Amino acid sequence: MSYPRWLWPALSAPALLWLGLFFCVPFYAVLAVAMGTVDPIFQTPKPTWNPLDWDTSAFSFVFDGLFTSGGPFQTVFLRTIVYVVVALALSLLIAYPVAYFAARRAGRFGTLLLVGLVAPFFISYLMRMLAWINLLQEDGWVNDALLWAHAIDRPVAWLDGRASSVILGLVYGYVPFLILPLYAFLDRIDERVLEAARDLGAGPFQTFRRVTLPLSAPALLAGSVIIALPMFGDYYTPDLLSGSPRTSLIGNEINLYLRGGQQIPVGAALVCVLTMLLLVLIVAYLVAAARAARRLR
Amino acid sequence: MRARLAKLRRRPKLLFLFTVAYLAWSLVPVLLAVRFSFNEGRSRSSAQGWSTRWYWGDPDLSVWHDPDLRSALFQSLRLAGFAIAIAVPLGVALALGITRWRGRVARPANLLALSTLVTPEIVMGSALLLVFVNLLTFMPLGTPAQLVGHVTFSLAFVLLVVRGRLVSIGREYEEAAMDLGASSLRTLRSVLLPLLSPAIVASAIVVFALSMDDFVVSAFLSAGSGTDTVPVRIYSNARGSPTPALNALASLTLFLTLGAVALAFGVWQAVRRRGGERGSAVGELARLEL
Amino acid sequence: MRHPRERRGLDRRDFLRASAATALGLAGSGSLLAACGDSGGSATPTSSTPATGPDTAPATTEAPATTEAPPTTGGGDAPFQLARPHSPVTLPLFDDNPPPESGLEPESGPLRVYNWVDYLWKRKLKEFGEEYGVEVELTTFYTMDEAITKLASGAVEFDVFFPTPDRISRLVAGKLLRPLNLGYIPNLANVWPQLQDPFYDVGSQYTVPYTVYTTGIGYRTDKLAAAPGTLANPYEIYWDEAYKGKTFLLDDSREAISMVLLKNGITDLNTEDPTAIEAAKEELIALSDLVNVKVSAEDYTKIPEGSAWIHQAWSGSMIAAPYYLPEGTDASVIGYWYPPEGGGAIGSDAMAVLRSSKSPVLAHQFLNFMLDEKHAYENFAGYVGYQPPLTSINPDRLVADEVVPPHLATAVVRPSDFDRGYQELELSPEGQILWQNAWAEFKAGV
Repeated sequence: MSYPRWLWPALSAPALLWLGLFFCVPFYAVLAVAMGTVDPIFQTPKPTWNPLDWDTSAFSFVFDGLFTSGGPFQTVFLRTIVYVVVALALSLLIAYPVAYFAARRAGRFGTLLLVGLVAPFFISYLMRMLAWINLLQEDGWVNDALLWAHAIDRPVAWLDGRASSVILGLVYGYVPFLILPLYAFLDRIDERVLEAARDLGAGPFQTFRRVTLPLSAPALLAGSVIIALPMFGDYYTPDLLSGSPRTSLIGNEINLYLRGGQQIPVGAALVCVLTMLLLVLIVAYLVAAARAARRLR
Repeated sequence: MRARLAKLRRRPKLLFLFTVAYLAWSLVPVLLAVRFSFNEGRSRSSAQGWSTRWYWGDPDLSVWHDPDLRSALFQSLRLAGFAIAIAVPLGVALALGITRWRGRVARPANLLALSTLVTPEIVMGSALLLVFVNLLTFMPLGTPAQLVGHVTFSLAFVLLVVRGRLVSIGREYEEAAMDLGASSLRTLRSVLLPLLSPAIVASAIVVFALSMDDFVVSAFLSAGSGTDTVPVRIYSNARGSPTPALNALASLTLFLTLGAVALAFGVWQAVRRRGGERGSAVGELARLEL
Repeated sequence: MRHPRERRGLDRRDFLRASAATALGLAGSGSLLAACGDSGGSATPTSSTPATGPDTAPATTEAPATTEAPPTTGGGDAPFQLARPHSPVTLPLFDDNPPPESGLEPESGPLRVYNWVDYLWKRKLKEFGEEYGVEVELTTFYTMDEAITKLASGAVEFDVFFPTPDRISRLVAGKLLRPLNLGYIPNLANVWPQLQDPFYDVGSQYTVPYTVYTTGIGYRTDKLAAAPGTLANPYEIYWDEAYKGKTFLLDDSREAISMVLLKNGITDLNTEDPTAIEAAKEELIALSDLVNVKVSAEDYTKIPEGSAWIHQAWSGSMIAAPYYLPEGTDASVIGYWYPPEGGGAIGSDAMAVLRSSKSPVLAHQFLNFMLDEKHAYENFAGYVGYQPPLTSINPDRLVADEVVPPHLATAVVRPSDFDRGYQELELSPEGQILWQNAWAEFKAGV
């Protein structure tokens, strides 16, 4: 006696249909809009569903701006990459020690600490940004604290269009999502491996450097991808913490073109180009996940 | 005693301080935002007395009396509730199917499900917007479209949570049940699903959190101010003229979320206990590979 | 979600509550109808466009004042004319889309209103519902593009819509609007004569006006060494390095570029001359380098809060701004400059009945209701802040009613401003692309 063969495909079918209809088809729609035309009267997009009739002018416009030195799309793409790389590096510097401590050294504070680490997961990103906006006002507590500590002599306008505020905002917003996968991994490292290293004469630091850190590489990669991808699509953090054109990211340009005006195909083409650029990261993640899944079996 | 002292000594001071500093950095701003929501005055950047004016006291501007703020709260809760109701059953079925299915389609199907996880929200939001406006026009923007979006990005998480559990419990119980003569559907219902229930509760918590947190998809698929969610409202108002009522709205969302999550954790913990498991549910959530 | 093109999504719920309370008692329209003597038709500023760019077909560009040919959209695929003050457009009527007959009873509703966010006092909807014994439903949108997309897709049905004049030709050509039977809207007589018969809809065949506003410079009187008005060219104030970090432009693809055009003495704010737009864009980019200029649509709070010292601003926002001052700060810190003799950027909004309306007569009654002296005034002074173009409303009355502090009377729009001002109007598709791309490039922070 066992399960009938049809059971598993049948159970998968509804969700797969759902994903086909609401995930794959929309992707095709983006392409069809990017390759489409606009209505002559209302200027709303008219997607071209047949690939033979595709009009590539929106793409050539985007590529123009992307490959002309100093072009608008090149500028925002480069800026976005720099912001994400810096924010990611800072996030790793913060997340790894915290996750390491929580997973391996927290002792009896473990659960309490975990509650603290899991909490941001349940506090909306926008609420956490709002919290910082409150504090970063010119008469806010950040300035008060820095003035009190004599770190500055007059209030700093943090929300004044500063790259540093935007990058720190990204770090603050996304670092909890890096800590959790790192924790999940570090918690599972087999104690015996570390003991073996110690028995072979490695000091604690050497054990960490030669054993724990190399072992964490896949988790570091997966965690980095998980937070880097949403950062690439972020437009609200610079909107809220800066407002200056000097800090706008690719998400802001997508939002500008896609949400209004007569060039929605350009917005759709930007979405396609962004997806292409991120495909490297996406594939890296999917390959790693597929490997992990195979190990599980 | 001595062992404990030794353990304490082994705990690296610097790392401990760093972690505490991180927690403070991570949580104190939020606590302060909650604090300012109880201000008597209009300021959102300094403490001005205590009152519930911005929750319900103020006849026009409080969360309860301002229709925009109130509707945002209900819209968020409505979407989260519906998202759980749809995404959890779909996702559980998908996890069961995809883990056990040995066919040639299983692996690409798995990749498809996981790729939603790594699609930036702006890509998913714009794709859904364009498809609902241009092709699937039977699906009006607003609650239905937003719900579709929330379910779509939640499915992969349900899949991950449930599959992890499914793999760890193995097949012995099911085989035993079938040996004892249970039909396959009955085994599924009476053996497998109860064994999966901790993971089902966990995935419901995750879907709830994701849905309440979502900004981009909700914003792109909103049909106007009436279907704005709390994060969308925060985004629009934070740049305009927020009063502490906005902090109150965010705080209320926080309380409701934490309340619901605490409740769910209680249920989860109880389910786990009955299954003879030890340790905290929070720990298990943190150890989920999301 | 706030969007660049969103100009009225102000969260100015119950702004001016205190002053409105004192002001609302008086509904008397009285003698004020006589205030404005000049008759219909809009005497117009002629544009002084520089030479037409070589790349644009002459027909797509606003003609210099000497040319008689009315502008049309390029390519001939869009069957409508670009309305300009000097070339008014009589919108086409279609046999299959007649106005409602006269003498009909209003339908039993519900009345479904589709409007910008926070652009209508909900109390007025309630009063209308009570007066006519119908349900009133309000649905709001954030951007005109979003609204038109939804209306054009046919996915939504409403009775009353609030279009901007730069889209009216399109809406008519696409047969989304129902022609009006002005017999149901006697209150149109309350409106400034030139807007009873506006150039964008000669004879008010499809629309009646709702609000008017100017675009000027909002500033902090207590922070600036010299008010913009004291400068030889007030628009130069944005380039003053002394206010670095405190300078804001409106987050709107037309307004910011138009400001640069006006600064340079170009008054054709609908120019499709690529060199003029390119030059304006370069100046905006340079402005970013010089003072780290920022964009926002929150002129009504950034100035009272003090995060902006100079903010390109809409007049209606400045009328609302005193409400957002921190407690204890006097309204005199807020200043608004608009060319005193006229000649700045100016605009208006309209109301229309949708063709898909199931209650067209009721919708007409609603338009009439919103042009009623009392209701229009209360809607403005009690909530919206953007003024209806009624002849009974003028700076003196608003100051006397304490709706507007005396020094902000500059934010009240006068009929003469319309004769001398410059409007941002419908562009040809090519022109729109020029403007939007220039704006996107500036916003990319090149």
